[in-house]
Amino acid sequence: MSGWFLKTEEMKKYLLLIIVILAFLLRFLFLGSNPPSLTWDETAWGYNAYAIGIDGKDEFGKFLPLTYIESFGDFKPPVYMYLSVLPIKIFGLNEFSVRFASAFFGVLSVLVTYYLVLEIFGKKQDNLALISAFILAISPWHIMLSRAAFEANVASFFVLLGMYLFLKSVNGKSYLFIFSVISFVLSMYTFNSPRIVVPVLVVILCFVYFKILVKNLKTIIIAGIFGILLFLPLLFFLQTPQAKLRFNEVNIFSDISVIKRTNQEIKNDNNALFSKIIHNRRLTYSVEYVRHYLDNLNPKFLFITGDGNPKFSIQDVGQLYIWEIPFFIAGIIFLFRKREGRFWIVPTLLLISIIPAGFARETPHALRIESSLPMFQIFTAIGIYYLFLMIPKKKKAISVGMLSLIIIVNFIYFAQNYFIHYSREFSGEWQYGYKEAVIYADSVKNDYRNIYVTESLGRPYIYFLFYSHFLPQAFRNEAKIEREVFGFVHIDSFSNYKFTNDIAHVREVGALYISSPNEKPENGKILKEFKLINGKIALVAYTL
Amino acid sequence: MIFKKPLFLLLIVILIAVFLRAYKLGSVPPSLNWDEVSLGYNAYSILHTGKDEYGKLLPLVLQSYDDYKPALYTYLAIPTVALLGLTEIAVRLPSVAFGVIAIALVYFLIIELLGGKNVKILDKEIKSQYIGVLAALLLAISPWHIQFSRIAFESNVGLTINIAVFYLFLKGLKKSVFLPISFFVGALNIHMYQSDRVFTPLFLIALSVIFYKQLLKVKKWFMFSVFLAFLVVLPFIVYTFTNSNALLRAKGVSVFSDQQLVERSSSKLLQDSETHNTVGKIFDNRRIEFGKAVVSGYISHFDLNWLFITGDIERHHAPFMGLLYLFEFPFLFIGIYILLFLKFDWRYKLSFFSYFLLVPVPASITSGVPHAVRALNFEWTFELFIALGVIASLLFILSVKNKIFSLSLKLFSIIYLLLTILNISYYVNQYFFQQNYYSSADWLYGYKQMISYVNSQRPNYDKIIVENQVPFDQSYMFFLFYLKVDPLYYQSLGGTKTGGFKEEHKGFYNLTFRHIRDVKDTGRILVVGKPGDISENLKNRKVFYYLNGDAAIAVAEK
Repeated sequence: MSGWFLKTEEMKKYLLLIIVILAFLLRFLFLGSNPPSLTWDETAWGYNAYAIGIDGKDEFGKFLPLTYIESFGDFKPPVYMYLSVLPIKIFGLNEFSVRFASAFFGVLSVLVTYYLVLEIFGKKQDNLALISAFILAISPWHIMLSRAAFEANVASFFVLLGMYLFLKSVNGKSYLFIFSVISFVLSMYTFNSPRIVVPVLVVILCFVYFKILVKNLKTIIIAGIFGILLFLPLLFFLQTPQAKLRFNEVNIFSDISVIKRTNQEIKNDNNALFSKIIHNRRLTYSVEYVRHYLDNLNPKFLFITGDGNPKFSIQDVGQLYIWEIPFFIAGIIFLFRKREGRFWIVPTLLLISIIPAGFARETPHALRIESSLPMFQIFTAIGIYYLFLMIPKKKKAISVGMLSLIIIVNFIYFAQNYFIHYSREFSGEWQYGYKEAVIYADSVKNDYRNIYVTESLGRPYIYFLFYSHFLPQAFRNEAKIEREVFGFVHIDSFSNYKFTNDIAHVREVGALYISSPNEKPENGKILKEFKLINGKIALVAYTL
Repeated sequence: MIFKKPLFLLLIVILIAVFLRAYKLGSVPPSLNWDEVSLGYNAYSILHTGKDEYGKLLPLVLQSYDDYKPALYTYLAIPTVALLGLTEIAVRLPSVAFGVIAIALVYFLIIELLGGKNVKILDKEIKSQYIGVLAALLLAISPWHIQFSRIAFESNVGLTINIAVFYLFLKGLKKSVFLPISFFVGALNIHMYQSDRVFTPLFLIALSVIFYKQLLKVKKWFMFSVFLAFLVVLPFIVYTFTNSNALLRAKGVSVFSDQQLVERSSSKLLQDSETHNTVGKIFDNRRIEFGKAVVSGYISHFDLNWLFITGDIERHHAPFMGLLYLFEFPFLFIGIYILLFLKFDWRYKLSFFSYFLLVPVPASITSGVPHAVRALNFEWTFELFIALGVIASLLFILSVKNKIFSLSLKLFSIIYLLLTILNISYYVNQYFFQQNYYSSADWLYGYKQMISYVNSQRPNYDKIIVENQVPFDQSYMFFLFYLKVDPLYYQSLGGTKTGGFKEEHKGFYNLTFRHIRDVKDTGRILVVGKPGDISENLKNRKVFYYLNGDAAIAVAEK
């Protein structure tokens, strides 16, 4: 049945190796220079990991934080920081080591995909597993999220691993159950979305495999208690106002236009009772939720342009490749037609992964739904696999050739856009310019009493810490820190750096200023310009 | 029992359809839009003079607003305009009639499609008549179909014609005499609606390919059918080749004229030639961008939000609703799956799916996708899927043996049924009672009220100047329509002058249509335009309001 693809077991092993190497190359080549520079969040991960590596405390001096790191007041889940300690120790505090963890777990996700597909569809489906792993390896979605310090990418790996270990333990190796639990809990300490995805997933898994789980009651109870203990600190943290702050800011239920609208509709019906029922705001909010959920399945988002945020998509290729369309649809049909093994896991995990993103105003969102990978790719793989089984033997070679050609052409289209044009077009999105500015300022630091830096490009202090390798102990001693009502952390100054929102009104003669070009007063003498890759000036250094 | 007779059930369905299409016709939606007044007045003009507003004798294509509309709808409106005069109802009635016909036709088409016998769903035999009735019912209450069968949109008649073409073709496979009728009716669609000029021929070609074996057996009938269709289409072909402007509209809305699309790729191409990047020169190519735009346009019609929650522009859906009911959502997917694997003649199945997949083709090469009007041909296919989905779900629930499972499923069904009723009542309320409030601006409300006022003031002024810039573009046509200007008189002035949208319109009576800023005319002048453009200090200022209370049109003395 599966003989059309590859003949011998040995060849398949080599093929898996080749796929993993391909995944490795696509994630690690030029990792430090494409994307062209570090975002605030990446820089913050790096500096916090650097600080932990020195004295076990984060940038603000919290010792081994367990549930969150405060960072800019966004209360980042801490795992990515811990994972970056070692790479930074080894490779130094630079772009490559900050992104290392994401790229590394991205490669591992490709490997786990292979084994997960075997667990879902059975050991005989190794061809399907190979195709799935291959598609994930070349996926624009997965490549882009693996090439920047996105904690979501690591969280997706843990969800995937947890899923794999769970199925493995259900298939007889029940001692693995505890590792599955650890992996699931870790994902919740890595990124926000799994905090909803994982509990829902676990409830469904327990419900479906109830009988098997009951048979291994002892292991289950131990693992369960262990899991709950691990989860408890996070649960307490999630009850705090800080944790809720960010959620309230981005969620759809704080949108009052819905209430205004339903009130008007009821008024239009002369306040009739039936109108109050059909225009109930809870119903309207539910429909709003569905709309945001379905946004993430928008065909244009998936196949044509991808996420509107250039950090997650190059805008020329969708989250998936355009050639996947027919195979993806065929894959859905075949999956439900063949109903092999634990087929239901594929659509279930895909649909669950979108649940958290539906609560947010910004949709679709490639990052928040990343744990739906590699389910999209598995659908495509199923489509390819079964369509090729249906092709008569004589035409198989030519069909494989044709499809390979299409895949290669589409891949080159993506790769040439991503590796050649992307950094030039979107360097501004990656806060390009800070690095050069910091290196310059650091080199002339002793010539000035004060150095004023604009905040108009956002959170400059972290770049100054990062690129001058500023000692965390010194930072904690010197820094003037303000915490706003909404939890945002604001650094006023450290060393002789002053950070301000309103640089145009600082009129200190003899100080160095670093601002965006339109903030510079006319009498400012430009000492140096820091340009984006496309030549636009991002920052200028000047004196008065 | 009479309730088990499918034809009786169909009759009830048709009564429901008639009610939902005739209730408040002419007042919901609250007013006629540009195209409706144009179709109406041209019907009036042809009825009385045989010529359209441009003075063209029995036109096949209406130049209208230089968008060159196919003229068939106008001819369909002649009898209703003759009977009821130049009113909203007269203009919209042909669409209502064809909407109702579509519902009856869908019933017969589905029976024909499924082979007229019982079909097996989940191992149960089901009469195809019941599937037909259910689909017809869903079509009768469908928000999408109601939306366009209550307004004068050519697309709605086009849909009915396509259903007829499909039905007559399948009939023709058994009784050849229907074959030429099918082709004849299909060819008429060339004169009906722009998108169907692409869709209907493609669909007939697909049918001919799928059934080529059967058609070869009745070669003579088939040749005759093609010849007949050719005869009907011929005038259009001649028109297109002799009139350089005939394709203006098609060019205007096509994606290939969208220059924004290629901006990024051309800037990349520049970089490629600077850096001698040969691979880039191949890939940073505007043809690739166009190709992607076409695929994007095509798949945009499978955006679930568009279908179920948002719709596209306001005139195309009830406020805050999609084109289909939300309760139909799961059934659509179940239905697609069921139909894919349902056992009936594979050629019939293939012809159905080729219809389904061809629908978005004309819209995909245009900008402004997804487009509920250009993709209206989808409508009945969705209802068939949903009908199958509903039937399969019901059969599944009834087949469950486990008592607890069965009971909870039944409980769930009751809740679902309540939600369904809620969903339908919500739609009825949104369409009939909320739409006028929320969408009156989109329906250009206010013209009728304003025109009747201006007409009463006409004798007091030397000149009346009416704005003709957005959103008052083509304001002249509303005056022609609501004042029932005698077509002979209008044509004697030279009728409508060609030459683009922005040119000053000569006008009629003492009415002039042009931009109202810097009016320098002397004498007693009345100006009509945007409330913001007409100063509050002017004498005799009168404002007309949209149904949500916002100011729509202002009239004042200059």
